[in-house]
Order: sequence, then C-alpha cells, then structure tokens
Amino acid sequence: MNEELGDAIKQALESGDASAAVVLTESGDEIVPRIVTGPDDPALESAYAGDRRYPMASFAILLLPGLEGRLAVPVRECDRRMLTELHKHNQVDTSRLVLLGVPCSQEVADACGCDHPFTPADIAIAGSLAHPAEPSPPPESLAEDPSERLAFWLDSFSRCIKCMGCRNICPMCYCKECALDDPNLVGQGSGPPDTPIFHLIRAIDMADRCVDCGMCEAICPSEIPLRQLYRMARLVVEEAFGYQPGLDPDQVSPIKMLGGPEDLGGMEGGSRAD
Amino acid sequence: MEEILAGTGEEQGREASSEEDVKILAFLCNWCSYAGADLAGVSRLQYPPNVLDIRVMCTGTISPYFVLKAFQEGIDGVLIAGCHIGDCHYDKGNYATAKRFRVIKDLLVGMGIDPRRIRLEWVSAAEGAKFQDVITSFTEQVRAAGKSPLARDRAALAKASGREGVDR
Repeated sequence: MNEELGDAIKQALESGDASAAVVLTESGDEIVPRIVTGPDDPALESAYAGDRRYPMASFAILLLPGLEGRLAVPVRECDRRMLTELHKHNQVDTSRLVLLGVPCSQEVADACGCDHPFTPADIAIAGSLAHPAEPSPPPESLAEDPSERLAFWLDSFSRCIKCMGCRNICPMCYCKECALDDPNLVGQGSGPPDTPIFHLIRAIDMADRCVDCGMCEAICPSEIPLRQLYRMARLVVEEAFGYQPGLDPDQVSPIKMLGGPEDLGGMEGGSRAD
Repeated sequence: MEEILAGTGEEQGREASSEEDVKILAFLCNWCSYAGADLAGVSRLQYPPNVLDIRVMCTGTISPYFVLKAFQEGIDGVLIAGCHIGDCHYDKGNYATAKRFRVIKDLLVGMGIDPRRIRLEWVSAAEGAKFQDVITSFTEQVRAAGKSPLARDRAALAKASGREGVDR
C-alpha cells in the first residue's frame, strides 16, 4: 500500500496534475513529512500510508499560498472533511489540491471511534475500507445530574498543563491571532491555565468547524476528553441549525452567515426561564 | 473586567448588595435595551440592584468569549438584551446574537452550568416596564440557582495555592 501511494504521487507529478506533493516518510521510528517537487524524488520510495496519523490539512494551509500549481496531499476521510470545511472558511482552495485517499484500516477506525472511516472510491487508492465504529464518550459527561457533569469537566480541565497541543495540532484552529493568547481573556505566563475558560474558548470555536478527527484528544498528555467537549458543541449546531462541519461543500456555516429569521435556531423570541 | 466587577454595591451609591447576594452582568444594546433601562430609570421603576450593565453598540458585537469571561470571573448570571428581531439598528446584528447565544447556552448547559444563569431578551427603547420585569425575574431566577459553582471553584483554588488568583 505504501508503494501504491508513492506511485500515485509520482503519477500526479509526472502528468503535471500537481506541481508539488506532501508525503509522509518513515525514518527509523519516526514519521517525517517531506515536500516533493519532482517524480524522481527518493522520498517517494519510502512513502508512508500506514496507521499513524498526521494533520495533513495543515500542510495545505501552509503551502498553498506560496505554491504555483496544485498540491498533491494524501488524505484520510477526516483530512478530507477538514479541507472541505477549511475551504468554506476561506483558508484553502480545494480546487488547487489533488487529494489521494488513504483508507483507514479497521484498527485505526476502531481506535478513533470513527463514524465516517470510509474513503470514497473516486479518490481512494487501493486498500480495504473500514466499517464505522461507535464513538465512546466518557459516561460521566452524559450524567443526568448537571452538578455531576460540571464536576467531571472541571476535574478534567484541572489536569491541563497548558501545553497548547490541542490548538497546535488542530488544522481547524487556523486563526493568526488566537484568543488563547489574549491576556484579557486568559491569564498568560506560567502556571495552570484559567479553567474552564481556556477549554471553553476552543469549544465555542469548534462548534461549527470540528470534524471529529480526534487528534486533539490523542495528543493531550493529560487525557482530557476534548473530543467529547467539542462533540457537545458540534451537536448544538447540528440540532439547532442542521449543520455538520465538513460534509456538504455547498452548505455554509450558520454562524458565519446572517441568514433570515427562519435561521435563528429557535431564538427569535429570546430565551425564557427553563 | 476586574475593575468592572470590583465596582459593585455601596461605592456606586446603589442599595448595598451583600457579599452573599448574586452578581449579574447585563450586556445592553445602545439603541434599544440601554434606552429601555433609561426609560425604566426616569419612570422611577424599581428593580434589584444586583445588575452591572455594560453598554455595547449592538448585541452582535458580543463575543461568546465575553460570556465565558464573565463566568470565569465569578459572575452568577449573564443577561444579554438587545433590539427585537427586525428592529436592529444595524439591520441584522441581533441575528448573529441569537445564533451565538443558542450555541453558548447549550454548550454551558451541556457542561453542567445551570440554564437559569444565562438569558437572552429583546427589550426595546419603549419597554421600560419590560426591562424592570426582566431584571426582576432574572435576578430571582439567578438567586434560585444560587452562587456560581465556578466562583466557588476559583475561590477554593486561590485558597489552596495561597494566592489571590491564578498566576498572570
């Protein structure tokens, strides 16, 4: 399968379909991304299409502005959803990308609890497709008693060491100026982060962007169930506005557009005491 | 934010609200709700003194971060009041508010914050009596919910670390 990916990239570069490509290569135990501009590049021999994941959509954001022609990127289904969503947020132009689908194995899909693991046949290079897996949210986050839920989240957030890993790995966190770096909102410098605002700022921003790739949770050294937090935010947008990030390239985020009175998510009369 | 929050109670010449009473932050739109509050004032309508108001040009300028920051600093309830849908001075600013509010409220409620602590109301410049009614009922609502658990959490954290607040 690794060779098939290398060949697909080689073909895209040879035919002039793409003028550059990003390829993950195996170097010892590490997976290292490389930029390839010619079909004879030796990096293509060691192209990696295994189970380890990498935020490929970030390369599109980084490389497209300085590139003439198109960029070939190997993507999983989650990467493809990110790129679709980033296109709608004016961060990448998907017409300038050549997407080479890398299907996830069943092990990856199960480990991710991924409910969209397929890679559509039109862009997939060879490989078997995985079945959807059930997400497994922590049961405390679904507790009936609000104080139990709050205690669970505050306890989870209190483990945060402010490594910024969740923000830095997330391709959907593309802002040049980040609210988490604003001293008026979040205390800066050493010490534990201000909770819960530190985590909720990101949750709010993820509400109409998160594609549930789960890399934030995978990278978090304190094992904070970030994915469930963002899933909660996403579900609000889905229930209120029927919007799911990354799926329909033509549907615009309800938060980004003003729309009409019918798009207000049931808030046209203001809220009432619950 | 701290300066605003520090300015509660006696020094503003209001009826002294005790330490135990709830603090409410109200974002009022310049064109409708702030004028509505003004009307309530000149009409000598009585309402509880627990509310600190912040005038904004449009409720559409209120970032969800502001609501989070208010709760972070220990506020017990947040009220957002603006022009009725269709009456916005900037045409559709309150459309953005309505949508953002839905997201922030449902997220906070999903996390375990009491839904009584956050409210969106449309109050026009002619609705002084409605302003009085909204403030009165919201204050009662927040009193019923009690002091914010986040405020308690922060106080406990500061005490445990021997500091007044988190390291800045």
